[in-house]
Amino acid sequence: MTEHAKTAPSNHTSLTQRLRSFDLRRHTYLLSVVFFLILCGINIALQPSFLQPGVMVSNLSTFLPLILVSIGQTYVILASDIDLSVGSIVSLVNVATVSIIEGMGGTGGAIALGLTTGLGLGIAAGLFNGLCVALLRFQPIVTTFATGIIFAGLALWILPQAGKQVPATVWQTYGGSILGVQTVIWVLTLAVIFALVLARTRFHHALLATGGQMQSAFQTGLHVLRVRITAYALSGLFSALAALCLVGETASGDPLLGTGYTLSSISAVVLGGTALSGGIGGFIGSVFGAMILGLIDNVIFFARLPFEYQGLVQGLIVLLALAGGVFVSRR
Amino acid sequence: MTILRARNIRKRFGGVVALEQGDLALGAGEVHVLIGSNGCGKSTLCKIIGGSVAPDGGSLELSSEPVRFRTPHAAAAAGIGVFYQELSLIPQLTVAENIFLGREPRTAYGLVDRKRLRSDAETAIRPFGAVVGQGFGPDVLVSDLSADQRQIVEILKVLSENSRIVIFDEATASLDSKQVAVFFDLIRSLKAEDHAIIFISHRMDEVFAIGDRVTVMRNGRTVVSVAIAETTQDEIVAHMVGGAYIAAADRKEAPAPLTGTAVLAARNLVGRKLADVSFSLQRGEILGLGGLHGQGQSDLLRSLFGAESLAGGSVFLDGKPLLLRKPSDAIANGIAYISGDRSRYGVLPIRSIFENLVIGLVSKQRPVGLNYGALVKRIAPVAERLKLKFPSFAAPVSDLSGGNQQKVVIGRWLAVAPAVLLLDDPTKGIDLQTKHDLYVILRELCAEGVSIILYSSEDKELLGNADRILVFNGGRIVRELEGERMGEFELYQAAYAAS
Repeated sequence: MTEHAKTAPSNHTSLTQRLRSFDLRRHTYLLSVVFFLILCGINIALQPSFLQPGVMVSNLSTFLPLILVSIGQTYVILASDIDLSVGSIVSLVNVATVSIIEGMGGTGGAIALGLTTGLGLGIAAGLFNGLCVALLRFQPIVTTFATGIIFAGLALWILPQAGKQVPATVWQTYGGSILGVQTVIWVLTLAVIFALVLARTRFHHALLATGGQMQSAFQTGLHVLRVRITAYALSGLFSALAALCLVGETASGDPLLGTGYTLSSISAVVLGGTALSGGIGGFIGSVFGAMILGLIDNVIFFARLPFEYQGLVQGLIVLLALAGGVFVSRR
Repeated sequence: MTILRARNIRKRFGGVVALEQGDLALGAGEVHVLIGSNGCGKSTLCKIIGGSVAPDGGSLELSSEPVRFRTPHAAAAAGIGVFYQELSLIPQLTVAENIFLGREPRTAYGLVDRKRLRSDAETAIRPFGAVVGQGFGPDVLVSDLSADQRQIVEILKVLSENSRIVIFDEATASLDSKQVAVFFDLIRSLKAEDHAIIFISHRMDEVFAIGDRVTVMRNGRTVVSVAIAETTQDEIVAHMVGGAYIAAADRKEAPAPLTGTAVLAARNLVGRKLADVSFSLQRGEILGLGGLHGQGQSDLLRSLFGAESLAGGSVFLDGKPLLLRKPSDAIANGIAYISGDRSRYGVLPIRSIFENLVIGLVSKQRPVGLNYGALVKRIAPVAERLKLKFPSFAAPVSDLSGGNQQKVVIGRWLAVAPAVLLLDDPTKGIDLQTKHDLYVILRELCAEGVSIILYSSEDKELLGNADRILVFNGGRIVRELEGERMGEFELYQAAYAAS
């Protein structure tokens, strides 16, 4: 038999294989893109101005905090952990930043210090979660539920009631544009680029491996501990970023601001096709998942449905998306 | 030249001694076979060398320098690569991602170079190209691969590390002969490059085909180390068994009387790990399942219990065909299954001893209004018969020792009085006294007409308690041992015979 005769059939299989290997399990976010587009269609029908740049930017700035929190939550869930403290981190960073900026007189230096402290605080909170879960081997659900209460308590201690003000430059800059591009678009773009780059690192492969099969990852020589802690730190960082966006958006501090973000971010991650069991998925789906949740609110508003339906519809859609995910993975 | 030396390595897991005295001297450019029966400590020794298990004592020297690996990462950095028997693959990742996990090629910017990852993987796969079968490639998810393909990925993963010392722990278990041939060629080229290889296999023909030196382990100790050229298959088996050939010494005095009626019969069973299994079980008999670990024995038992599905064949109970779709089908027909894996298949850990004992009975009672008094009356004699040591029925079962927990699991089934007991390595991690108690009870049950199929990973237990032994290899019954021919030597020979 000639060498050619041997290799020909294998080439053939590799072609059909590549066609078949377009596997929804490797592109779990596609389902959420479809959902997103459908909701966009419905939204356009109900609200013809939806496609106007101004409306789009305003929608984006409403969705942005949840998008950011969900990106962070994705990393933790990919490692097969969970972070129930993200909402409290948002609150804590929000009040800490506002308090620092106001307490130091609202100068340029104060703003810079407030923002960097906010980011540092978010990372520190995430590291604390990570150390408890990975190093001390506490249960992720219970641990982050408890640390969430602690962070929320700290937020209330710093600022017992909603209030305080940041200088106009902060919200003007956030609501305005930099170099001709809307600030919110900058934030989203930079966050997505960051996440895209991160997805191409060895860390990300190690993250998927850790979430996929922790014992195998360990035996392969990966630093499982470091990976899980880093995932929590990233979650803290993105939560802090979301909190800073909320500072720009609301121009004030609110110790209860983050309350809804925890469960919404988990919904967004799941909607985006990331498996709660870890190892499968990615941040792109979570971005779409967060926007889906935002669009559902829009649709309910413009369809003039009673506001009370919001939770019901959101829940049904998450269930539907889960069913779709189950359908795909059980094929 | 000795590159790696292990001296007097010890390890216990809880109360069980896995390794009592592990010694090994590995030379560069050598294929060193490590052999021994189930649970002799060879895998533990390899895991200690590979850094995934920490030893309790002993010393490890790498190129005459004392070393101690706290993590697999440290061992890998020192040039030790391990093929893990249970595999270290991530099912959610692709073949390419798995092969180079943690060592992905990177671009100038430090990011993973996906093109090179893919092409490197293609290069790595090439030697196996003709024998790897359908549906294999760098972009295929490992979860979609068959058992042999996964094993090949694990081989490629270890080889790609290019370690000075490579440990293959049963790397050929699911490979066919063509795949093994390719694998051996790769080992020979490693050898030619002066790498040292530790090779664990249960296939004698492979041991002689590839090995330069063999070290035999028995009961957690290194027994002997000789050059392959200077030994024979029978000599190795004799070392594994322990010197003298044991023939009738370990046989029990009188085999149980058989009434000669088949209670359970299986014809041509085919399953995930079963190939054409046929046998019949007599009333009052203890039928042993022997052979190396994981040759289909557990799968047979779980299939007979309806917990694993069969692809073909038929099961008869008292001559009538039986359809086993789920465990409740088996239970309804008086078939009970007890696993040595108590925590997974046995006890309900946080529940009380009472609840653990009556759960089999409760399902037969009316749904509302349990009669606790009646239940206690039913289980009290069972607890007494099992010599169960317990503080009170209300205490959580997790308060008990492993042996007593297993008694509770057995007691649960005794309470419902089954006709057939399927025992899947039931004495795993249990102390000797309890083991003895359990086997006495099993004999009594047989006398009462209960029929038992027993799989044990401890060959001595099997030989001491079974009336007949079916030896499994690769999902098939390769030999049936009975009477005079049922000795340790015969059992090993049948189990290790070239498949």
